[in-house]
Amino acid sequence: MADELRFDGRVAIVTGAGNGLGRSHALLLARRGAKVVINDLGGSHTGGGKSSAAADAVVAEIRAGGGEAVANYDSVEDGAAIVQSALDAFGRIDIVVNNAGILRDVSFQKMTADDWDLVYRVHVLGAYRVTAAAWPHLREQKYGRVVFTSSAAGIYGNFGQANYSMAKLGLVGFASTLALEGKKNNVAVNTIAPIAGSRMTETVLPKEMLESLKPEFVSPLVAWLSHESNTDTGGLFEVGGGFMGKLRWERTRGATFRLGRGFGPEQVKAHWGEITDFARSEHPASVTESMGPIMANVEAGPSRGGNEFIDVDLALGYQFPEYTSRYDERDLALYALGVGASRNPLDATDLNYVYELSEGFQALPTYAVVPAVNGILDMGRRGETAPGLNFGLDRILHGEQYTEVLRPLPTNQKLTHRSRVKAIYDKGKGAVVVNETRTYDEQGDLLAINELATFVRGAGGWGGERGPSADVNVPPDRAPDAVIEDKTSDSQALLYRLSGDWNPLHADPGFAGAFGYAKPILHGLCSFGYAGRHVLKAFTDGDTRRFKSIKVRFADTVFPGETIVTEMWKESETRVVFRCKVKERDKVVISNAAMELYTEVPQKKASAPSAKATSAAPVAAAAAATGKITSGLVFEAIGAYLTKNADVAAKVGTVFQFKLTDPTSQWTLDLKLNQVARGETAVPECTLELTDADFMAMTEGKANPMKLFTTGKLKISGNVMASQKLDFLTKIDRKAMEAAAAGVVVAAPEAVAAPTAAPAAAVAPGIFQSIAARLAASPALASELGAVVQFNVTGPDGQWVIDGATVAAGRNSAATAFLTVSDDDLAALAAGTTDVKTLFQHGKLRVDGDVRVAHRLGLLKNS
Amino acid sequence: MGRRVNVIGVGMVKFAKPGASEEYNVMASKAAREALADAGIPYGEVEQAYAGYVYGDSTCGQRAMYEVGLTGIPVFNVNNNCSTGSSALMLAKQAIEGGVVECAIAVGFEQMEKGALQAKWTDRTNPLDKHVGVMNDAQGVNQAPFAAQMFGGAGREYRWRYGTKKETFGKIAWKARQHANRNPYALFSDTLTLEEIMNAPEVFDPLTRFQCCPPTCGAAAAVLCSEDFARRHGIANPVYIAGQAMTTDYSSSFADSMMKMVGYDMSRAAADKVYAQAGLGPSDVQVVELHDCFTANELITYEALGLCEEGGAEKFIEEGDNTFGGKFVVNPSGGLLSKGHPLGATGLAQCTELVWQLRGRADKRQVPNARVALQHNLGLGGACVVTMYRRD
Repeated sequence: MADELRFDGRVAIVTGAGNGLGRSHALLLARRGAKVVINDLGGSHTGGGKSSAAADAVVAEIRAGGGEAVANYDSVEDGAAIVQSALDAFGRIDIVVNNAGILRDVSFQKMTADDWDLVYRVHVLGAYRVTAAAWPHLREQKYGRVVFTSSAAGIYGNFGQANYSMAKLGLVGFASTLALEGKKNNVAVNTIAPIAGSRMTETVLPKEMLESLKPEFVSPLVAWLSHESNTDTGGLFEVGGGFMGKLRWERTRGATFRLGRGFGPEQVKAHWGEITDFARSEHPASVTESMGPIMANVEAGPSRGGNEFIDVDLALGYQFPEYTSRYDERDLALYALGVGASRNPLDATDLNYVYELSEGFQALPTYAVVPAVNGILDMGRRGETAPGLNFGLDRILHGEQYTEVLRPLPTNQKLTHRSRVKAIYDKGKGAVVVNETRTYDEQGDLLAINELATFVRGAGGWGGERGPSADVNVPPDRAPDAVIEDKTSDSQALLYRLSGDWNPLHADPGFAGAFGYAKPILHGLCSFGYAGRHVLKAFTDGDTRRFKSIKVRFADTVFPGETIVTEMWKESETRVVFRCKVKERDKVVISNAAMELYTEVPQKKASAPSAKATSAAPVAAAAAATGKITSGLVFEAIGAYLTKNADVAAKVGTVFQFKLTDPTSQWTLDLKLNQVARGETAVPECTLELTDADFMAMTEGKANPMKLFTTGKLKISGNVMASQKLDFLTKIDRKAMEAAAAGVVVAAPEAVAAPTAAPAAAVAPGIFQSIAARLAASPALASELGAVVQFNVTGPDGQWVIDGATVAAGRNSAATAFLTVSDDDLAALAAGTTDVKTLFQHGKLRVDGDVRVAHRLGLLKNS
Repeated sequence: MGRRVNVIGVGMVKFAKPGASEEYNVMASKAAREALADAGIPYGEVEQAYAGYVYGDSTCGQRAMYEVGLTGIPVFNVNNNCSTGSSALMLAKQAIEGGVVECAIAVGFEQMEKGALQAKWTDRTNPLDKHVGVMNDAQGVNQAPFAAQMFGGAGREYRWRYGTKKETFGKIAWKARQHANRNPYALFSDTLTLEEIMNAPEVFDPLTRFQCCPPTCGAAAAVLCSEDFARRHGIANPVYIAGQAMTTDYSSSFADSMMKMVGYDMSRAAADKVYAQAGLGPSDVQVVELHDCFTANELITYEALGLCEEGGAEKFIEEGDNTFGGKFVVNPSGGLLSKGHPLGATGLAQCTELVWQLRGRADKRQVPNARVALQHNLGLGGACVVTMYRRD
């Protein structure tokens, strides 16, 4: 399909063209229309003698075939003369094929200086002289093709060819630079490493092999590289026997030693695997690419420290991939049994942790640690660790654990966890790595926070930050206010491990023995669960929902079967300090421990800003007299404005949460209660995140909220539409603000009512009751629905199934459709302020299974 | 009607993850040289070049083509979001069709960053602000990647209208991996089970992670020429363009429908024009490369291109009419989902795949008796290019 590649009008020089490869190249080029200078000194292949016969024979052959050629008998060391004969005969020069070569094979110890020099002169100096003489012509005419001849012996080395190897690889470097310099003048320079039967190889290769390695199998590549349509340059090709392929350099990703940390031969030895591992490699093709990793390390600047176990630069702040998990009532019960609940199966309080049909079934709150730690353990099992943490399980001890819940754990939930390396401390001999995991519920709201501090033996000593060292949660010097004793079962660890901690140390006697333990030890987090249960039992009257957080230090090992004694001191209504001992050995196993409690059970859905919110006025007063209008003053002014213009608040009727950054501050603008307060609210309908400066610009009318939003400077979550009702912000009286900023007393806004955290009552039970009544009264409604529908209501949680005319609390896994919706949104549906389709499109009503069922939920309205 | 335009050479590089690719100029010049070698013509014969990319400073096109040759020809840089590659192709085709040149090359490339697409210029009006406004009104905005919210929202709208199961979307991702498994140029060649797809983290209901195309680096190119040129160079029976149309947003994009906001009407109108130009209909087509940036878009586009009737996508998928053995093979390459989606390169990579298919050169993923191929390339913002290829 493509035309024959022609060389009409082109003039080529082929050195060493009297025999072998050179002759073959010359004949091919001439056949395709090139005018060729046949250069050959006519010597032997070892460099002796001189004759014109070889060159003349090739010229004659070309002319006989109708081609044009002239002979030249100069040594390649007289390169100028060879180029001159091309100019004399044909008036130009386009192609140079540097092919001439000789051999002086001898082992290095026997090699004479003459052997070395002669090989260098013919291969390297000769190629230089010929190319240097042609170069100005090629540049001038902005066209040229140069081919050098290298050899596998140069690339890989070959016994007895030290001189030849030196010369052949020298040409590769020579050609690489010429390729770069020739590029802008359209001079392409390439190198071949051929293998062919010729005078130079007939002494080393068997005869039948020589037959199949004809020079004619190499010349097509030389011709293509010499053709004008080839623009590839700087290449190195192996060719022969019908094969041709390109070579390139490959470099391992190697090892990088961060500067400022010091490294010596020991570190080179330690990283030898990485330095030499081609499993991960790249192919630098220029000096710039070669310098890439070097420059990257220099630009990365000095290290924050570390050693072969811990690289603080890589590890600190690393965000693990997000992971998800699920738990249900069965997981909660298994966990509670694992931490010793229901040793007395008639204990009604404990039954609430293990029997899902009990009236007050609830999660033992310390369960919040389990999914978070399991996620980290699972990553460990898959070999996924944070970069820069290079130590095995054998070095680590669970040092401290902090677990906090923002509200009671639902009895079943799909969780999303985001973990990061929060802190790394150098404790001298050892090191401490703190992992923080933030756990979110199905709605994406933060549910729990865990901090797991791991002590890494022998990994410290780089002179880094030592971290907090104050002795916290020390028991007061008096008798404990409560003591609970609890004997663990001999198989306690085997039961606890079913909650997910797979470490064989807790199950495999052989494995435990290898670590110097007489038998498998109890999980630290199992005794942690015991301790938590004890404190809750002593101070919460069995209502664990007031649990806020627990922090412990693991001081020593507990063996299954031992008795855990928890000593507790009540420091305040919301705080209990405690420690745990093993009775049999009188050893402290958990120390420096405390539990914090909420005063009231926290609710996900509260109807007013949380107790954290404080009046804006004092803040504003503090910011006053600086002469500068601050966001605090603006919010104060907004409060004053809204007090005067109650109709504005009534019209908007939305709870806004502002999260400002640079500097950070949070504000609640509750236009339902007509309140402005500093702090977070538990129930924002619309949350706006932006910088303080952008907020100020927005209130001055200098920035348009929509534009801030579309350019990513303003993040809005919740009800985005509501943010379009913020126009009134630009109507705030700037003069009052300026006066306040100047320290002039202006009329203070009405005292903001202290917000109360009134727990919301779930509306779902009432709605489903009403639906049941309507279905019972109207069978037509039931047949219209014609499906089994499972409702999962969240915040507060509940499940209902509508099956024909019956409505029942609970689940049905065989339902036609599974609907997940919040209690609030369900209430809005019932009130008719929204519809099913809108909620679905907004992602607030999730439908698994048959979506069409959701079309037929009209009965929800007015229920 | 202008002159017939042939696609005589195509080429592409294997797509790679951000950070793992060569630089754009290296990828693009490789793809261009491959296309030239495939066509069997030297770069000197090419009279104009159209270079498509989205991310990069001005004149990246020249920088890339300069590695192919310095012949001084016009090089135009083309930027049209995700339909950039096809836009470059269309300009090259128009130049030949209108008799301006005899031979032109279209090359598309992209060196992408990790992570979801984001706005680069935050000090000026975002070109998608009207589209975002529609989304705001229809479903609000959350923290998920913007494109996933837009196309996922279109999926929600479709589900609501026709009661489609979530798994039906997942099956498109399953098929994409099955196809990519046979394509050595694809980024993701491992197959996945439907369960793995459905259990992957949710990006935006109903889309899980495997239902969203990944940021990708890559390049592809096509050499186009006139009938005269092909004859002069002895190129027999080449693939040719039987129809091509570009549409941009209609007023319906900015009404109240997520499906229309993401380009349903653009796709349908462009396809209708192409069928009219070619005098062929959907039933004449054997193989389709369709813009499956998200499974939801592939699903709604089956209908926009007329591959199945409105509301029939679930049945179409369940009966296997989108894969080998069915009525059409849609995205034999693995599509954007599995082959990857280097924005500027995608349109030309689709072209490359279809040319290989029509020449019977697609190896393990060859669609039997492929004679007519359809390409659909869509960019938000917006532009939709539909192209029909034939080989006699």
